Amino acid sequence: MRDNRILLKKLLLIACLMFGFAWALIPMYRVICEVTGINRVVKADAAPAAGSSIAPGVPVKLVFDANVQAGLPWQVKPLVRSMMARTGEFVRVDYEITNASNRRVVGQAIPRYLPAAAGPYVHKLDCFCFKEQAFAPGETRRFPVVFVVSRELPAELSELTLAYTVFDVPGKVAS
Amino acid sequence: MNIADGTQVASHIQHDKPRGLARWLFATNHKDIGTLYLWFSFAMFISGGVMALGIRAELFSPGLQFWQPELFNQLTTLHGLVMVFGAIMPAFTGLANWMLPLMIGAPDMAFARMNNWSFWLLPPAALLLMISFWVPGGAAAAGWTLYAPLSTQGGMGTDLTIFAIHILGVSSIMGAINIVVTVLNLRAPGMTLMKMPMFAWASLITAYLIIAVMPVLAGVVTMVLTDRHFGTHFFNAAGGGDPVMYQHIFWFFGHPEVYIMALPAFGIVSQVIPTFARKPLFGYTSMVYATSSIAILSFMVWAHHMFTTGMPATAQLFFMYATMLIAVPTGVKVFNWVATMWEGAMTFETPMLFAIGFVMLFTIGGLSGVILSVAAVDIQLQDTYYVVAHFHYVLVAGALFSLFSAVYYWFPKMTGKMYSEKLGQLHFWWSLVWFNITFFPMHFLGLAGMPRRIPDYALQFTDFNAIASVGAFMFGFGQLIFFYNMVRSIRHGQPAPQKPWEGANTLEWAIATPAPYHSFVVAPQLEVGDNGVILEMKGGEHH
Repeated sequence: MRDNRILLKKLLLIACLMFGFAWALIPMYRVICEVTGINRVVKADAAPAAGSSIAPGVPVKLVFDANVQAGLPWQVKPLVRSMMARTGEFVRVDYEITNASNRRVVGQAIPRYLPAAAGPYVHKLDCFCFKEQAFAPGETRRFPVVFVVSRELPAELSELTLAYTVFDVPGKVAS
Repeated sequence: MNIADGTQVASHIQHDKPRGLARWLFATNHKDIGTLYLWFSFAMFISGGVMALGIRAELFSPGLQFWQPELFNQLTTLHGLVMVFGAIMPAFTGLANWMLPLMIGAPDMAFARMNNWSFWLLPPAALLLMISFWVPGGAAAAGWTLYAPLSTQGGMGTDLTIFAIHILGVSSIMGAINIVVTVLNLRAPGMTLMKMPMFAWASLITAYLIIAVMPVLAGVVTMVLTDRHFGTHFFNAAGGGDPVMYQHIFWFFGHPEVYIMALPAFGIVSQVIPTFARKPLFGYTSMVYATSSIAILSFMVWAHHMFTTGMPATAQLFFMYATMLIAVPTGVKVFNWVATMWEGAMTFETPMLFAIGFVMLFTIGGLSGVILSVAAVDIQLQDTYYVVAHFHYVLVAGALFSLFSAVYYWFPKMTGKMYSEKLGQLHFWWSLVWFNITFFPMHFLGLAGMPRRIPDYALQFTDFNAIASVGAFMFGFGQLIFFYNMVRSIRHGQPAPQKPWEGANTLEWAIATPAPYHSFVVAPQLEVGDNGVILEMKGGEHH
């Protein structure tokens, strides 16, 4: 009988400890994730190392282009064909898009960079390519693109081209 | 020493059998409590089954026929909770109560009064679950896993569910402590650990799992409760908490829980198959070690339920390989059962049919489990009907079939009557056929992308859902055969001999049938072979 009581107490103790363990799991998971870094799904941008000055802007040639696939009812053209800018400064350029058909259509612009390696260095703040655009028959509209070319642009990329292709979105009719 | 001195029931044990309601309300006899457990779990099995039929009725055709989505979600949630905590776990505890003392030569369970408490906590908990359907907002609808943030938002039905889980947890921990103490301290002389029946081993290891993880479940639902009412933010992202943390803690309980429902089933078939194959259990020692290693591994695989939560690839790989590792000891067990049957002089009475059905269908469920363990595949199959098919193969054809096997196997010893073999076989073949018709198409539904816990579905899933629904209703009605067989046989069954099965050779068959109300008042002297086979017995009186 005494043996039974001792074992009973030990088992009850295990049960109580496991109840506490459930609560201890909360800080444990946090610590394990912090120490091992396995849960760092969203990484903060690394802060610039102390003392390093921001690289001065360097000149870069920007070329703007647009094209439409055969059979689609669009006319797309940049108002400026090319310009000189400096890295790290805001650039604004306007595009003019016309719905050349006699129906209402919804279009979506897809950007492309040449050379493709320049893509990560173009930081867009505003672009008509961010969302679908609805057009009345024959409507013409102007859209701005605002972007910054990063100061980290490698020196060998002194000229880059930003090109847009506009598609119509099937199944969508502008309201 | 008279072993009865070693238990609390020493003073009761000389009494006559109590009568009337008091016999059950104040029950301290392990056989009475075992009977209560078994009837309670049958009532819960029927309740959960009715909910399942509600689900299948709604899913018979696309669109909403019977229930609004809210009620449908409540049905899936309560079906899971009732079946897991109300039907399967109490049924195994009940069988352990009934058979363990008889199988290891103990006069009763170690703590008879606590045994009474652990049973009588169950009905109030079940009542809380059932009445939650009628409170404002209805029952809990977050799924049986009660994931945050769904569970931190529901109505008061969720609170009732949390309290019910607390009570069920206390009940099963007390039951588990009783089993551990009984098996470790009350075995008759000669019944050593490495000779005792596999059912005793499985119950012992399961009891340890319950003691280790039910408190974790109690802890995590308590956190949900404090998040709901006391302003904590354990799982509230807006307050700095983490809803995925809930899943981590829940599944730390949840995966061992899977084995709490599987290991006793392994124990049962390890008794039934040698009896009807008339051969000793193949590889008894490896069975003990396989069971233990499954239990230990079950603590290291919980995150395979969470492959789509955005876990880092390193963690996915760890949990994937750890999960696959469990297939090794499980495979050892399956091959041992097959090897036990190999060249055995098999006969196919109902318990054996259910045991063989268990081995075959559980293996199918185990293999779909291995498929799901592959992280890359699981991301496609997570929360689809493939998962539903998988866990019903291991829980219905696994746990439930083993329970039927056990009830038919020990029915003569419990009641002193024989069940109707004809009806038993009808019950088996009926269940086997309709079970597969219900759940096998769900594999296809899952592979085609049908999500679980949804009351409506896309048209291409109609045919397989209709088949599954017909199967489910037929399977459900078939359980009435079982009910009829039990009730009729208890009343009008043929008297059973002491040893109704030719190959039965464990301790419970060495005493009179039906098992005397107070058995092994004086501990027998035993000489025991592997798996509790009695080679020689001296003494062991009863009243």
